[in-house]
Amino acid sequence: MSTATTHTSAVVHPEYDRLALNRFGLWLFFFSESLIFLILLLTRFYLFGTSRPEELNQTLGLAITVILLLSSFTAYRAETAIAHDDRPQFLRNLLATILLGTLFLLGVVLVEWPEAPRLGIVPQEGFGIAFFSMTGMHAFHVLSGVLLLLMVYLNGRRGAYSSDSYWGVEASIKYWHFVDVVWVFFYPALYLL
Amino acid sequence: MLSLGLIRGLIVGAIGAVIGMALTMAARVALGRPAWSADPVSFVGAISWIVFFLVGIGAFSDWWRWAQGEQAGDPHHPDPNAPQWKRYFSFDPSHKVIGIQYTVTALALMYVAGLLALIMRLELARSGLQFMSPNTYNTIMGLHGIVMIGAILLGVSGMANYLIPLMVGAPDMAFPRLNALSFWITVPGVVLIVLSFFTGGFDTGWTGYPPLGARAPLGILFFYLGVFAIGLSSILGSINFLTTTLKMRAPGMSLFRMPIFVWGMLATSIIQLVATQFIGMSFLMVVLERVLGMGFFDPAKGGDAVLFQHIFWFYSHPAVYIFILPGLGIISELLPVFVRKPLFGYKFVALSSMAIAIIGFLVWAHHMFTVGLGNVLNSTFMFTTVLVAVPTGIKFFNWLATMWEGKISFETPMLFVLGAFVIFLIGGLSGPPNGTVVTDFFLHETYWVVGHFHHTMFGGFVFPFMAAIYFWFPKVTGRMYNERLGKLHFWLMTIGFFMVTTSMFRIGLLGMRRRIADYDPALGFDTFQMIATMGGFLVGLSMLVFLVNIVRSIRAGERAPENPWRSRSLEWQISSPPPEFNYPTPPVVVGGPYDYGVPGSVYVRFGIAGASDADPARTSSDNGKS
Amino acid sequence: MEAKKAAKLRLGWIVIGILAVLTAVEFWVAIAINSALLYLAVLALAKAALIVQYFMHVNQLWHKEGHE
Repeated sequence: MSTATTHTSAVVHPEYDRLALNRFGLWLFFFSESLIFLILLLTRFYLFGTSRPEELNQTLGLAITVILLLSSFTAYRAETAIAHDDRPQFLRNLLATILLGTLFLLGVVLVEWPEAPRLGIVPQEGFGIAFFSMTGMHAFHVLSGVLLLLMVYLNGRRGAYSSDSYWGVEASIKYWHFVDVVWVFFYPALYLL
Repeated sequence: MLSLGLIRGLIVGAIGAVIGMALTMAARVALGRPAWSADPVSFVGAISWIVFFLVGIGAFSDWWRWAQGEQAGDPHHPDPNAPQWKRYFSFDPSHKVIGIQYTVTALALMYVAGLLALIMRLELARSGLQFMSPNTYNTIMGLHGIVMIGAILLGVSGMANYLIPLMVGAPDMAFPRLNALSFWITVPGVVLIVLSFFTGGFDTGWTGYPPLGARAPLGILFFYLGVFAIGLSSILGSINFLTTTLKMRAPGMSLFRMPIFVWGMLATSIIQLVATQFIGMSFLMVVLERVLGMGFFDPAKGGDAVLFQHIFWFYSHPAVYIFILPGLGIISELLPVFVRKPLFGYKFVALSSMAIAIIGFLVWAHHMFTVGLGNVLNSTFMFTTVLVAVPTGIKFFNWLATMWEGKISFETPMLFVLGAFVIFLIGGLSGPPNGTVVTDFFLHETYWVVGHFHHTMFGGFVFPFMAAIYFWFPKVTGRMYNERLGKLHFWLMTIGFFMVTTSMFRIGLLGMRRRIADYDPALGFDTFQMIATMGGFLVGLSMLVFLVNIVRSIRAGERAPENPWRSRSLEWQISSPPPEFNYPTPPVVVGGPYDYGVPGSVYVRFGIAGASDADPARTSSDNGKS
Repeated sequence: MEAKKAAKLRLGWIVIGILAVLTAVEFWVAIAINSALLYLAVLALAKAALIVQYFMHVNQLWHKEGHE
């Protein structure tokens, strides 16, 4: 987001490597965020051990996992493209990422959430507590990631980024990968054990 | 009026809260439910209050500009025509403004929470109920606890914000906008906590344990969300402190040339970054239980109440190290200045802070010895708990060795440092009986624990905080405080404090339970309770003396010399108060920070050739006035 | 420049390929093995490490050379 300060910050303190500071801060933020998910993961194991209800829709679980991994792949391609000033490829891949992310979100919120209670997994009690709080917290982050990428996409269409100034792209895509990493742990914990 | 960010924030925030509540009620009606349900509607209202308050104050305006692809430019753009005082009530990214905002808010909260303590002491002065219902007493007790905790967190952030960029030779924090956001998010949080008193209060104490927390009156919802906001501030602040400390130090300032206070804040920031999520999530989970009926902590629904205690204490024990490590840093920082001797064992003092932080993560279950975790866990946590005494002991012996054969002078800051030394020592010594399982079974939930806790908080935070305020007062304001009033403050506070805590230890050993409004006269506590109440009022009186001193000195104190304490630290080498971007010429660190009395030793030089070519823009003409 | 970019894009294909294989293995392990916690944890860690290393460029933190 901070393309402005990253590369045009000659105003006040030019001696600091703004990019290095931003990256460091962003990783600290990721670390801090990851603990929120760790707490939910530990709660799931504390309350329910390694047990898991059989009713969950395995096809859907695998499908949304693949979709999210694919979106990480397109996000990587988008970042590589803008790093080499290939704007059409950047926008194409970014749009694909946004669409895949939205698809994931719809899969969780519109398909999985209405279906699970019909199979006896309700948010109020039993395994549903862990299932809905974990998918809910994750979906909230996916949503914010999609919104971030959408902003980057709109700015990118107006020509905002180039190979020597794309911190906004880098930060949002890193965030997107982070959300994917969370699902890498949540998927087996919720669906596979 | 509307040019003040705070006023705009309050107005927009209030509108936002109403909108949020209305939308929730509309959504409930659309779903075919009754429009009003206290918890969900208040939950959304409280969240939108926080968000809209921040929007109103302008916290997001630069980020919003970025989101639209515009350039926001430099964060520092104070309006040169606006009066200086307005900056303190607006969204201002300067670390010195934010430091003062934090410190003043912290002091205000300390007065409020202190007043609540005096109300409790009046109720407890004699056996029998004086003027309060037990429920009101419980709410006031919980509020005293949480408001004090908020005050301490804010006070820590205040000292760190003002001092860290100065001490490491940086012009500001790494992320100035984020820094301002971290302060302003606490304000709606504090408002929510205060609101909890007027919405039914909460009878759980500051820990908010479920299942009681899941059933308590509406007030506890606001309490949880207020703490959540302050916790968010704490996390964002720690990101800033860590980045600034690790990435923005002046040339030549290796880790082992940093001032000890910066070391203390480094350890503190690590704890804040790692642990704060835990209290936030534990409270969020109770809120989810209240609002959505998710039974995290309800055994009837497959939950577990002890889980809450684990998550909660994983933050709330390390939290006390968040409170004390900066304070211990202040002690280590000031001792060499007033003793005119090098700090003894610099590396050990520095690393013992880190050791305390790390061991602090492994001790949380000592708050839960009576829960029934079993002998294996209990004894494990007993050992880790007692292990904390080792790095703390290292600090004490190093302080003693620093003072040994020094030329001690007893100005007010030094008096508070020595007071902190003694009080924290007693706090430390009264700790192991709580940390040892067999004795804890008898001391748990007694006034002994209350006495121990107040000793550690006064010795670890309040006295060092006061020392810091007196010590850096000339730096911040350019004026001296009144020495006689300062000494009066110290002696009143110390005597009053010991009257309180000695009585607490005494009645605690006799079996007085904490968290109750009344006690049986036959137990014979009346005399000591009365002494404690009198001591409490003495502490309150001392804080009034402090207030008079500060207010009078800001307005009419005599002008302070450049470096009244003959300190070697960086911040004393520039004018008071410091210029907008701190160092007109770039500082270069060439020696150790505490080599007082060592012939020929130099800590910092300014404007050395070779350092300045790295930053040609930072010359005195360019920086000081931009 | 173009060669560097092509190499990067190829790397992306390789990583997503390995991630796909690991996900398939996860799914198979969950079906075939009874107490799969340890295996699943190792597989998830491996996947996360791949993403953090190759997609998130974690090593930028200690190699500072600007973008890429």
